[in-house]
Amino acid sequence: MKNFKYFRPKNLDELLAIKNELKEEARLLAGGSNLLVYIKEGSLKSGTLVDIGSLAALKGIREKDGYLEIGAAETIIDIMASPVVSEKLPFLRESLRVFANPLIRNISTVAGNIAEGSPIADTAPLLLVLNSEVVAASITGRRNIPIDDFFISLGKTEIKANEVIITIRIPIPETGRGKFVKLGLRKGTSCSVVSVAVWLIANGRGVEDIRIALGGVAPLPLRAVKTEALFRGKILNEHNIGELALEVTNEITPITDVRGGAAYRSEVSAALLSKAVRECLGMEE
Amino acid sequence: MELYEVDLMVNNRAVSARIKAETTLLDFLRENNFIEVKRGCSKGDCGACTVIIDGRPVPSCMTLALQCPGKKIYTVKSLGSWDKLHPLQQAFVDHEAVQCGFCTPGMLMTAKAFLSDQPHPSREEIREAISGNLCRCTGYQKIVDAIESVGKGGEYE
Ligand SMILES: Cc1cc2nc3c(=O)[nH]c(=O)nc-3n(C[C@H](O)[C@H](O)[C@H](O)COP(=O)(O)OP(=O)(O)OC[C@H]3O[C@@H](n4cnc5c(N)ncnc54)[C@H](O)[C@@H]3O)c2cc1C
Ligand code: FES
Ligand code: FES
Repeated sequence: MKNFKYFRPKNLDELLAIKNELKEEARLLAGGSNLLVYIKEGSLKSGTLVDIGSLAALKGIREKDGYLEIGAAETIIDIMASPVVSEKLPFLRESLRVFANPLIRNISTVAGNIAEGSPIADTAPLLLVLNSEVVAASITGRRNIPIDDFFISLGKTEIKANEVIITIRIPIPETGRGKFVKLGLRKGTSCSVVSVAVWLIANGRGVEDIRIALGGVAPLPLRAVKTEALFRGKILNEHNIGELALEVTNEITPITDVRGGAAYRSEVSAALLSKAVRECLGMEE
Repeated sequence: MELYEVDLMVNNRAVSARIKAETTLLDFLRENNFIEVKRGCSKGDCGACTVIIDGRPVPSCMTLALQCPGKKIYTVKSLGSWDKLHPLQQAFVDHEAVQCGFCTPGMLMTAKAFLSDQPHPSREEIREAISGNLCRCTGYQKIVDAIESVGKGGEYE
């Protein structure tokens, strides 16, 4: 038997108060594109649905002190439509074009995407290669969590039971180019089997710095730091990109599930990484 | 179990009901006789239940009714009537973009919101815009034709 309550906080204080009082029993409802599925499937049976979808305190997309700050209740579509995002970080806008489908983009949020610690959340690899921060708040105060520390284990994040995500902060990169590629079951409109994000700072074809992150190939969204180290300092060409990309298979621990086998995921990871790097270099469009 | 009083504006008409917290907008609409809104997958995959909320097409099965007070909700019946079809509806008829018709109410709402934002889209943009609305019958070609014809006509408001 389902037994839900509904509450719409009028401001941040009300939100933090109810979160502090009910802890896990306060189920934050942003776009609802995950939460409603759990309610329908019956994996979630009770709790207070705390509707933050139109909470003004969690809205807003702005540039501040060299960071792009995105309110936790901003939808994917509003992020894509934001002039600040287009100007300062077109990589983010371009990457979100393959997120879910246009209808789901109209309701989904980035905070809702990462809050569950899912390894296939598409925004996780993006936030990882961009060295982002997640701002969490509770009645006792705020803290900035570096994205590298955010994902703890499958389904678990650094967010405490009395905390909510209020802002995503992304340092605006001064140089470099990014690329996000994903393989879903259907083109563009479904969850990822494997996804790869790359941020590359290159001088011609020489790699000054590179950040690589993957989704769907480990219990957590993963930064491939060993592969990054192998790429760093190399002059890239047609041959060595594929070889270097193959190294990523030593760093991941994919599983076999309904969406694909482990060996397949490994192969796909290397291929997507190679493609992403080539696109960053303009070798492929 | 707690029930909640809710007042929604659907097709410019006020509709009230007492509902459970987890009642989706889709359930609310169908229970209040807006049966033109179709139930397909009930989990955000098919787009059959698409309505326009504050100018944007969204799957009503993935939205709670309680999230919607103060918002303007439109179903396909807001478009036109038998005597006076909306240009998009007429185009779907003219281009034979309807077979079983199950996807059509959702498809029309997505197309309507899309053309309001982008009156003269390319075929590629149309395909992308309707990629959350599945059609098992037409193969999409004729749906894209229909939407494109309205975009080209330039008479769209
Ligand atoms: C058809 C379909 C296609 C999809 N395709 C994709 C895809 O391609 N890629 C992908 O990554 N995902 C996909 N998803 C999953 C989902 O849409 C995303 O994860 C989305 O970003 C969730 O955001 P939301 O705002 O709807 O979350 P909600 O469902 O509202 O919330 C999700 C979880 O996050 C918590 N939460 C929400 N906001 C906060 C906050 N501010 N602080 C703390 N916790 C919070 C909620 O309590 C809940 O546990 C898809 C879903 C559907 C139905
Ligand atoms: S019924 Fe809502 S998307 Fe399928
Ligand atoms: S006409 Fe039958 S599903 Fe589209």
